[in-house]
Amino acid sequence: MAKLADSVQVSAIPSARKRALHRTNVIGWLFASPWAIGLLCFYAIPMLMSIYFSFTTYSILQPGEFVGMNNYRDLFQDPLFWKSIYNTIYFTVFFVPLSIFFGVALAMMLNMKVKGMAVFRTIFFLPTLVPQVALAVLWMWLLHPNFGLVNGMLAHIGIDGPSWLGGEAWSKPSLILMSLWGIGQAVVIYLAGLGDIPDEYYEAAQIDGANWFQKTRKVTLPLLTPVIFYNLVMGMIGAFQQFTLPYTLTKGQGTPANSMTFYVMYLYENGFRYFKMGYASAMAWILFIIVMALTGIIFITSKRWVHYQGK
Amino acid sequence: MRRSKKIAFPILVYFLVMLLLLTACSTEGSSDPAGEGKTTVTMWHGLTSIDLDNMNKVVKAFEEKNPTIKMNLVYTESSEGSDQKLLTAVAGGNPPDVALFDRFKVGTWAAQGSLTDLSSMAAESGIRKEMYYPFAWEESSYQGKLYAMPMDTDSRLLFYNKDHFKEVGLDPDKPPQTIAELEAAADKLTIKEGKRFKRIGFIPWYSQGWLYTWGWAFGGEFQDAATGKITANDPKVVEALQWMTDFGKKYNVEDIAGFTSAAGTEEMDPFISGQISMKINGNFTVKGIEKFKPDLNYGVAPIPTPTGTNFTTWSGGGSAIIPKGAKNVAAAWKFLEFLGKEEGQTLLNADSQISVIDAVNDKYGYKDDPIMKEFINILPNSHNRPVIPEGQLLWNELASATEKATRGNGTPKENLDRVTETVNKALEKYDK
Repeated sequence: MAKLADSVQVSAIPSARKRALHRTNVIGWLFASPWAIGLLCFYAIPMLMSIYFSFTTYSILQPGEFVGMNNYRDLFQDPLFWKSIYNTIYFTVFFVPLSIFFGVALAMMLNMKVKGMAVFRTIFFLPTLVPQVALAVLWMWLLHPNFGLVNGMLAHIGIDGPSWLGGEAWSKPSLILMSLWGIGQAVVIYLAGLGDIPDEYYEAAQIDGANWFQKTRKVTLPLLTPVIFYNLVMGMIGAFQQFTLPYTLTKGQGTPANSMTFYVMYLYENGFRYFKMGYASAMAWILFIIVMALTGIIFITSKRWVHYQGK
Repeated sequence: MRRSKKIAFPILVYFLVMLLLLTACSTEGSSDPAGEGKTTVTMWHGLTSIDLDNMNKVVKAFEEKNPTIKMNLVYTESSEGSDQKLLTAVAGGNPPDVALFDRFKVGTWAAQGSLTDLSSMAAESGIRKEMYYPFAWEESSYQGKLYAMPMDTDSRLLFYNKDHFKEVGLDPDKPPQTIAELEAAADKLTIKEGKRFKRIGFIPWYSQGWLYTWGWAFGGEFQDAATGKITANDPKVVEALQWMTDFGKKYNVEDIAGFTSAAGTEEMDPFISGQISMKINGNFTVKGIEKFKPDLNYGVAPIPTPTGTNFTTWSGGGSAIIPKGAKNVAAAWKFLEFLGKEEGQTLLNADSQISVIDAVNDKYGYKDDPIMKEFINILPNSHNRPVIPEGQLLWNELASATEKATRGNGTPKENLDRVTETVNKALEKYDK
């Protein structure tokens, strides 16, 4: 509807006004140009360059030579490349659904009309304000196997806690736990989504005799799907780019036994510590293709499960 | 007319804004503001507190002797951050004249052709190999050419808690010398309740207990001196890793993991808090002990070896380099020369670091200090890590092999064979 209205308006404009409009367009573009030039110089051109570099042995300090598909071939034979993909997918597969589940649940709780709700909302949002590096250090102590708070509490109820970040089995689950702590950002978006659902739907459901569970399943969740969809895509992209937390926790080493070597960490290692920028560029493009493909799949399936109001 | 005026004004504003942005982004340039024919040498560093104070003293003394040169010190954050900055600056063709640099990286950067060869200037200025500890010169050179001026150094020793020794009936004046003695002491000192350590006697790989540390202690070599090939699977190095692995098995690696993964530094250091009785660490933690627990009754001793003789250690440290493309090479060298000779060294490392010149450490009285003297005495026998273009790769591979082997993921031999193969393969491309 909106588009149609626009075009009707434009054709109705007399030619003098048209020129004035054209002029304001030019001025508009001029003012937007610092952004446009920045985008071109600092995003588009480097991106295109990195395609080229991914076929070379570019080391930043030296131009390197053209080696065709060698970087890609070497990558597929690099065990650490596969390990980093495995770690990254592991993290994404568990973290993203969990973050949606807890995010929605938390948002629904924080949407109840209870006194002092603002305080609770603040409490859940606060952790997202803590810088990732500080968060990592904090959790390192909470999860200390011998002296940490978490194992201390577990000991009180008779559970012998695991070594968390110290062992291969628990290092990634620990990371997922830490990341869930910073869920507040998504909760704010879910809360906005919940606020958008008209009360009439609930009233109608009430009249039909729906209980809380039915209202949640038939009204709240379907109408929240556009927001869930958004958080799913953004969460997945973010999860694939996991870097700061594991880098800080393991001082860039991916310990124990490379169980914390995530894709972007290994990319960084290759580019800036081994000076294999060509190799790193190839990695970046593989990541790009993976993320694009997954986003595409989510978009295609979204037609089946995302409900927009008024449709 | 009216229309063009209307559009002219915003365009004028636009260009003014762009101009402002551009000037704000550009650097101040390296021309000298005083304009008295002085050459300004820009140096990038990551120094703070006492090290910065010392460097300022060096600069002051240097400028007094060289009135035509002005030093411009620019702080760039330490370690990796500054490396990236330097990397970009060198690649962009606009590097500083001097940069402080971890000697460990000299091999890599020199192989990339990004450092100025200092050999001939050093020869002219009388900077000679014999002036420094052998490893310091070695680590500043790549393929026989000098690329960096060594500045300071460190060494690693066995730290042991004397009170703990007394408590369990060990002689606090007789630290373990052989590997067998070390194991026996560790056994006595450890207090374990179930899976939890109340106190742990020793962890070979904790802190500075790298495979480099033990490989050399066991008499191994990581590089073939003749061919330059990496020999991480030297039988002695394998033996060292085997010992670490057996040690881990005895105490259960997973249970130890708490100490190694989450142990803090400074006041949270488990050695300071008495949770670990012995550790391998460097002189760089001595100041922390003085600060956070001055009454800690501890001693330092050479790292035990299988025979209890031929004690050794390894050292790293800082250096100053002139990046390729620097504008004032001659003046920059003047400063490096001053930094590398005795006067500069004395000012630079006072009350803080270990100098790379033995005589300077004499002057500081380090050899009269019961703790510091041990760190100095071992230096003539200290090693440096192999200077190769893939130093970082070798480091990471060794760390990873240690972890895998100690966790029972492949035998020490298998893991070290793989390291050797991987790194030598990566080195092949530099031979062309």
